[in-house]
Formats: sequence, C-alpha cells, structure tokens
Amino acid sequence: MKLQELDDSLQALKDKVISVDKTTDKRIYLTCESEKSFGICKFLYEDLGCRFVIATGIDSDNYFEILYHFAYDELGCVITVKSLVRDKNNPSVDSLANLLPAASWIEREVHDELGIEFKGHPDMRRLILADDWPEGVYPLRKERKK
Amino acid sequence: MSWKIKALKKSTWVFHVNTGACNNCDIEVVDLLTPKFDVERFGIKLVGSPRHADALLVTGVVTAQAAPRLREVYMQTPKPCVVFAIGACACGTGIFHKGYHVVGPVDKIIREIDPNAIIAYVPGCPPKPEAMISGVVKAWSAL
Amino acid sequence: MSEGLQELFWILIFPGFVFTVALGLVVSWVVRKVSARVQWRKGPPLMQPLWDVIKLTGKEVLIPEQANRMVFIGAPMVGMAGVLLLSTMLWRITISHSAFVGDIIVAIYLMVLPSLALILGSSASASPHAALGASREMKLVMGYELPLVLALIVVVIKAGSISLAAIAAQAPIASISGVLAFLVSLLCIQAKLGFVPFDIAESETEIASGMLIEYSGVLLALWKIMQAMMLVALPLFMVMVFLGGFGTSGWPLVWGIGKYLLVVVLAVLIKNTNPRVRIDQAMKFFWVFCGLALAAAVVLAMVGNAYGIGWL
Repeated sequence: MKLQELDDSLQALKDKVISVDKTTDKRIYLTCESEKSFGICKFLYEDLGCRFVIATGIDSDNYFEILYHFAYDELGCVITVKSLVRDKNNPSVDSLANLLPAASWIEREVHDELGIEFKGHPDMRRLILADDWPEGVYPLRKERKK
Repeated sequence: MSWKIKALKKSTWVFHVNTGACNNCDIEVVDLLTPKFDVERFGIKLVGSPRHADALLVTGVVTAQAAPRLREVYMQTPKPCVVFAIGACACGTGIFHKGYHVVGPVDKIIREIDPNAIIAYVPGCPPKPEAMISGVVKAWSAL
Repeated sequence: MSEGLQELFWILIFPGFVFTVALGLVVSWVVRKVSARVQWRKGPPLMQPLWDVIKLTGKEVLIPEQANRMVFIGAPMVGMAGVLLLSTMLWRITISHSAFVGDIIVAIYLMVLPSLALILGSSASASPHAALGASREMKLVMGYELPLVLALIVVVIKAGSISLAAIAAQAPIASISGVLAFLVSLLCIQAKLGFVPFDIAESETEIASGMLIEYSGVLLALWKIMQAMMLVALPLFMVMVFLGGFGTSGWPLVWGIGKYLLVVVLAVLIKNTNPRVRIDQAMKFFWVFCGLALAAAVVLAMVGNAYGIGWL
C-alpha cells in the first residue's frame, strides 16, 4: 500500500499514542505510554504486517524509553514505537516475547543492562552479562548529579 | 640459539582466539591467511586446535566472560609459544578503557598465569595484514 | 653381513624407515607445492615438512587427564608400524622381485592399520570433538573399504593371479574395467590419505581438527610422519596394481617415477578442486555409485576373461 494509505491506517491508533512524528517519509515515530505499547505493537505486527527488527533501551532524565523498531518492507519504511516507562524505581512493561519470539533475546538484554522488568516473558535469564556479575547492578543506567 | 626456537621460527602454526572483539581484527587476521598474502611460504599455517599451535593470535579486549577461557587456551598451548596481541584493544584495551565488562588487556590476563610469557604487540584498529606480517618478523628477530 | 642384520637394514634404512620417511616428506612437500600453484601462489620451501616435524618434537607433550595413556601413546606407533611394513614390503617386491603368493591380501590388511590407529588414538583422547571425528572416520572406513576390495578383485580377475609381481607385470588399466577400477580406487585412496573431498574426520574448521585435537608435541610429529609415509606407500600400491609396476633401472625407473608422480598429482588436483562432502553423502557415494560402477567392471572383466577380449 502507498505511503498515504499507511498514514491513514496509523490513524486507527490515534487514541493510544501521545504523538506521531515523521522525520522523513520513511521514518515514523509513535510515542506512547508504557501501558499502551503492547497493543500498538500487536496492531503493527498483525494488522499491518510489519516485521520486527530490534528493540532499544534508553535511560533518559525523567523516564526509561523502550523503542521497538518495525520495518514495513513494501515501502521501505521503519516505524518505531517509543514506549515511555515513567516509574524509574520499578520499571516494567508488557513483554512482546509471547507474540513475537524474535523479541525474546533483546528483552533479556534490555533487562540485563537497564533492569526493566518485562511482564510475562517466558524465559528471563541472564544473556550478556558475565556469570559472576552481581545481581541488581545494571551497568547501562546513568548516574546523574542531583 | 636453541634448536627448538630455531625450528619454531621456521614453522609457526597459528591459532586464532577472539576474546570479545568487534570482529574487525578477526576479519584482518582471516585476510592474512588467504592465498593473497601466502604466509605458507614462511611456514605459517592455521590450525584448528590450540594443542597444535605455536602462536596465539589474540584479538579483542578481554571481557569478564572471556578471561577464564583465554587462560585455558593459553595453558592448552604447548610451550614454547608466542602470544600475539592483535589490535589496539588487545594491546591495551583501546576505546573500551574503563568499560564495565573489561577485565584488562591481553598481557595482564596472560601474565597472571605465566609471568614469563612471550607476548608480541601488533597495534592498529584494525592492523593491516602487512602490519601483522611485520609484527611476526620483528618478533622472530627478537627471539 | 648376516641375514638378520641385512633384514634390519632393509627395514630400518632402505627401503624401510629412513628412506620412506625421507621420501614421504619430499612427497608431502610436492603436495603442498602443487596445492599452492593451483591457488596461484608460491608454496613452502622444500625443507618445510622437515622443519614442521623438528618443531613438533621440540614442543611439550600434553596428555589429557582422562585419556587412556597406553592407547593414546601407542596408537601412532601402531599406525606407523603398519605403514612401515607395507612400504617395506612393496619396495622389496619392486626392487628384488621377492614376491609371495597372496601378498595383495597382506597389503590390503596392512592398509587398514593406519586408519584403525587413528580411530583408536582419537577414541582414547577423552574429548567430544575427537569422539565425533572417530565416529566419522569409522563410517568412512566402512564406506571405502568395500569398493577398494572390489576394485582389486577386478584386477585379480584380469591378471589371473593374486601375486603383486604378476599383476604388476601386466597393466590392467589398459581396459574399460581397469579404468573404472582405477578411478574408483583413486577416490578410495583419497579418502584413506585424508584428503578433501573425504577429509571429514579431520576437518579443521568443523570440529577443530577432529581426531587429532588432543595430540601435541612428539606424538603429533609421529602422526605427521605416519601420514607422510602413507603418501609413499599408497600411490606406490596403485602404480603396482594398476599402472604396470615400478622399474628399477634405466628407462623403466624414470617411467615408474613418472607414473608415481601422476597418481600423487591426480590426488592433489582432486583435493584442490572439490569441496568437502558430508559423511552421509560420502557413504552414499561409495556404496551406491562406486559399488554399481565396480559391479559393472567385475562383470566386464569376467566376460572379457571368458571370451578372451583383452580390452574389456
């Protein structure tokens, strides 16, 4: 389907997202709260037929961000779902692993490095940290001066 | 010089160890062992087991997971042997200095188990195959 | 010199151990040089295989804790003994024509010993890689021994005798069944020497040197020497059985050396132009394809013998 039709079908998500940004024609960012991200990803995967590429975890000032990148191969677009996890003390979000087995390992890595809990993940084991790395120490969290 | 070292210089069998590298140095090492540079003229051959090796080509900054394995591989290599630290990361941690997963450059890990180890450094990011050949030749003339 | 001392000379110096090892190192250099030229590069210098062996004797020997020491150390010696005996026997037959009836059967028996020694040595290594290599080598041996024996049956039918000297006097290759048998047994020899496309058991990249993974130092040098000696004995066997023997002086000698080098170079060229096959593909190849080709060759040979047609 063409770019315009893609824009129209993304309108169906209007009530779930905070904002839709198009930096270029082929790059779309959907910002949303962490509770809504599972529903949006499900829509992208099942209804639009996008392909899951990878996820990213970022430690920003007021929230954690988890970015899920989906590729829409017909048009060569990449649609990114930016999920804001506002609770920095007990961050948690619904896991995509049961819907998309491909997301299982990247969620393990984000959990290892940032300590975000993925609810419902079938196999949350340590992935990339060394075997003798202490539990509860999350290396990629930033230290901020107050 | 002892006949063992003389024979070692004439026929060096190398084994490649990656201790957490970004793979750039590994690509260059594999490049070195292709027919273009023809290192078989010098008696250098790639072997599949550390027990057959005379020289270990170690790439990568040594991560916490890789450190015990590197020690095992070094102990499995029959002496006399030479360790070549290939690339800036292996010579002295390179850009991963102060990373949370970095245990130290290659020579720190190897000297913990063998203070008399023979270690040669080939810096570069990644070093060209010509630089690696030059490193091997300098190591042989220093032995 | 007394008889015993003369026999000792034959076995240890010429044409036994020293001669075979020296010739084997030269032939393994030929193998590496031809491989290098095929790949458009210069190869190693002539003394390279010798330096390899010298270097290996200077390294320390590491034996795994759980390995069976006696078998681990004894296996390369058993293999070397088998090849040494085979090579001495074959050279003595060509040089002094001291053949005996049924020596082709002794040769087949002795040719199995190096492969058996490899299997024993790697099974005693207490390593999963070596065990995998051993199981693959066992399957490979089961694969190529049958076509090899069938090919030799073709030759025996054509020559009408099981004495190597009598077979060498004719040149069984000058016939259709002879050519078929020669090609099939060339591939079997390829597998026995451990060359690609049948070097499954010692595949470097797949199972980290497979069978010989735990060997180091002097023991590895013994294996390399054994493999060099096989490079002398097996092509010589092929020349004697198929190509009409090896002369001892004058033109037959030069001709013989030419035939011997032909077999070696053929093996190396096949080695350099083919990828490695999987073990199940190798078994299928040996039993189905080679088996059928050889069945046809046996029939042709018997028909040719019965009706007196030489070129069948």
